[in-house]
Amino acid sequence: MGRQRARPDPGAVTRRELATGRRRIASGLLLLLAAAGWSVAAYYLWQTSVPDLHLPHVAAGDVLAPGTLRTARRVDRLLRIDTLLSQLVLLAAFAVYARYGARLTRESAAGRIGTGMLLAMLGFGVAWLAQLPFGLVALWWERSHHLSRVGYFTWIVGSWSTLGGTFLFICAAILIVMAVARFLPGSWWLVGAPLFAALALLQAFAQPYITPSLHPLADPALRADANTLAKADGLPPIPVFVQDVHLETTAPNAEAMGLASSRRIVLWDTFLGGRFDRRQLRVVLAHELGHLARDHILREVGWYALFAFPEAYLIAYATRRRGGMFEPTAVPLALLVFVGMQLAVQPVHSLISRHLEAEADWIAIETTRDPVGARSLFVRLAATSAVDPSPPTWDYVLYEGHPTIAQRIAMVEAWSARQRAGALRRSREAVSGRSRQARSARLPGAVVG
Amino acid sequence: MSGHPVRLRLNDDLRRMRLAVFFRLILAIPHYLWYWAWTALALVATILNWVSTLILGRPPRPLFRFLAAYTRYTVHFHAYLFLIGDEYPGFTGRNGRSPVDVEIAEPTRQGRLGVFFRLALAVPAFLVASALAGPSTNAVTRASPYLTSVGVAGGVLVTVAFLGWFSSLVRGRMPEGMRNLGAYVLLYVAQLDAYLFLLTDRYPDAAPAPGAISLSTAGNPVSLVNEAEARRSRLTVLFRVLLALPHLVWSALWGVAAIAAAFASWAAALLTGRVPRPLHEFVERFVRYQVHVQAFLYLLANPFPGFSGRVESYPVDLPPIPREVQRRPATAVRIVLAYPALLLSGALNWLLMTCAVLLWFVGLTLGRAPESLQRAGCFALRYWAQTLAYTLLLTDRYPYSGPWAGNEPVPIPAQ
Repeated sequence: MGRQRARPDPGAVTRRELATGRRRIASGLLLLLAAAGWSVAAYYLWQTSVPDLHLPHVAAGDVLAPGTLRTARRVDRLLRIDTLLSQLVLLAAFAVYARYGARLTRESAAGRIGTGMLLAMLGFGVAWLAQLPFGLVALWWERSHHLSRVGYFTWIVGSWSTLGGTFLFICAAILIVMAVARFLPGSWWLVGAPLFAALALLQAFAQPYITPSLHPLADPALRADANTLAKADGLPPIPVFVQDVHLETTAPNAEAMGLASSRRIVLWDTFLGGRFDRRQLRVVLAHELGHLARDHILREVGWYALFAFPEAYLIAYATRRRGGMFEPTAVPLALLVFVGMQLAVQPVHSLISRHLEAEADWIAIETTRDPVGARSLFVRLAATSAVDPSPPTWDYVLYEGHPTIAQRIAMVEAWSARQRAGALRRSREAVSGRSRQARSARLPGAVVG
Repeated sequence: MSGHPVRLRLNDDLRRMRLAVFFRLILAIPHYLWYWAWTALALVATILNWVSTLILGRPPRPLFRFLAAYTRYTVHFHAYLFLIGDEYPGFTGRNGRSPVDVEIAEPTRQGRLGVFFRLALAVPAFLVASALAGPSTNAVTRASPYLTSVGVAGGVLVTVAFLGWFSSLVRGRMPEGMRNLGAYVLLYVAQLDAYLFLLTDRYPDAAPAPGAISLSTAGNPVSLVNEAEARRSRLTVLFRVLLALPHLVWSALWGVAAIAAAFASWAAALLTGRVPRPLHEFVERFVRYQVHVQAFLYLLANPFPGFSGRVESYPVDLPPIPREVQRRPATAVRIVLAYPALLLSGALNWLLMTCAVLLWFVGLTLGRAPESLQRAGCFALRYWAQTLAYTLLLTDRYPYSGPWAGNEPVPIPAQ
């Protein structure tokens, strides 16, 4: 008598289907909850103190003289095309690397994580090589318009050094991801994303201490202005530093950095030396203090954390066919997904950045109450940086991390209009209040309420 | 070094007359004058030789003999000056009159293209010769967080002479390793001279004998295994320094622990005469890891090393070092005793870096590493490993600086 094949237990099949179904429902519910949580967090991060404004139209010709405007547009045109091409080439380089990069595992005698580090570093090395010509073109263009003073060799050496920093960072990132993926092959992203957010927080805190060429602002009047403006923002006195960049560039810039006790404002020395007057510099200080007053750096870390989860998940999903992130051969593909996502969400990042910068502008105008100084600052920035006051829409959407100069001036004018409207309303209220008092005084037995 | 038409002959018994050593620089004054005068003539002769060889395809015999004698004289003179030999040299450069001598094979036909571009072709060899024989006034620190020796370590030859002077005065002998190291430098410079003077079209060979790398000779248990392939990945060569960054960071962190362990080893060795096994193995692994990283950084090997210093995990490797009894008096003053070796290691580091620079260019263009440079670099690395092992109490055998043991280089089998 032959052996009979065991028939599947219908009950077991049903139980399996039920378990799968339950898992799917649970996953769906978790996803919904996560999306809801994400949305709530994004909503609160998005909130700013900028009221609804009807921004008037400001023409580029109202900002810059025709000759200066032509120059600014010419400068910007090549730079934005160069940037776009550079990013396309970057994506192509990573795509090629994702296809062939795994072959480089033979160049490693290290273990899995060490090999993963090597592949990650080489990926960024290939990308650096691919983007090098575009960087040199941009440098040549900036030098020819006297915006940059950096020599070609110095630029390459500096870029090389920056690549070294990138290598160290990517090694740390790969170490974290692969170490976590070893124990949580399918769900490493759940642990990895918060870890990276924590690193971003640490980096934000440490930034003032690792930025080179900083020295305290010497001008006592400006320091006093900074303290006054900080007090108006409800901040303690914030140290103001100057970064020496005049040997590299003529463009002015400033930034707020740090968290909690490490908060700083950094002015490039290209702002000083009489290029900008005190009123304009007050607006700059007020703008940077506005970032600190509204915790923009912390919010940026928050946004980073929000995007880190879906990005890490996508990397985990994309690399599962290559064995997951504990396999070094998955690293080239992970790099492609990572870079691709960064480029894909760049418009969103630019939007968020513009949103925060607009709030900083608003706070600057509110605390300085100097629309003339603010307007003149923005006009001067456009002229000294050869910036197109109203760039093309595609460039604005993709790359502009600040409102355009035209928009910033429009905000100043909107603020002025609000002030005028407010003053008119107050004077009308004052007049009507006096009239009511007068009428009440003429009526016997009247009670003034 | 074997198979090259310029070969070394050593007939030195290592004994040095203290009085002559003390006044060596002054005694050499007549030779300075004669050397510079002969050098001026040799330059003229070289130009004539260059023209003649371009026309005839081989150097004319009178010019060949003149320049060969000059080359030999240079070796005799510098061997005396730098304490590689002890007999006062003659002024004629005659063959067989000095304990340190070179034999130059008879001239052969030379390609005219190579003759025409001889000076340009010799540039890489110049760089190696500068690292070996060129004095430098830079204060050199062997860049590592756990070794803080600073010394004037110029060319290798100057350092050998500097240390050998003290040793010869005290002991009346030149240490064999340093004598052989000095002879290796003189031989390389002689080969370069012969190449430049068109006595041969064979490129100078920087490689010490193959046995030098494993070097369990002279009783030193610290050896190096060199199984590196010649192939180099151009991509990793281009980014080599940057790729080594994570290893340098890990090295620094591990180095802190290794120094602490070495200090504990020192205390234990003073008390018990031996380093405890766990400490020995921990420090040994660290030294091995350093060898792997240095080999990668200086392009002596191709693959990216691991982070654990595991034995047999890398083509340039450090075999296990046996745990031996350590003499207490030497252990007590180990860091002081190690200073000369650290100085010499710093000088050899210039050779290592020069080889690395040349390996970088060749690796990028040809995708391979010339064996000569790779082995020269491994030789320098081996000495550095021995010095580190000695300093960190893995062994109490003093590092051996010679590329070979005894009086003659080990012949290289034909390839």
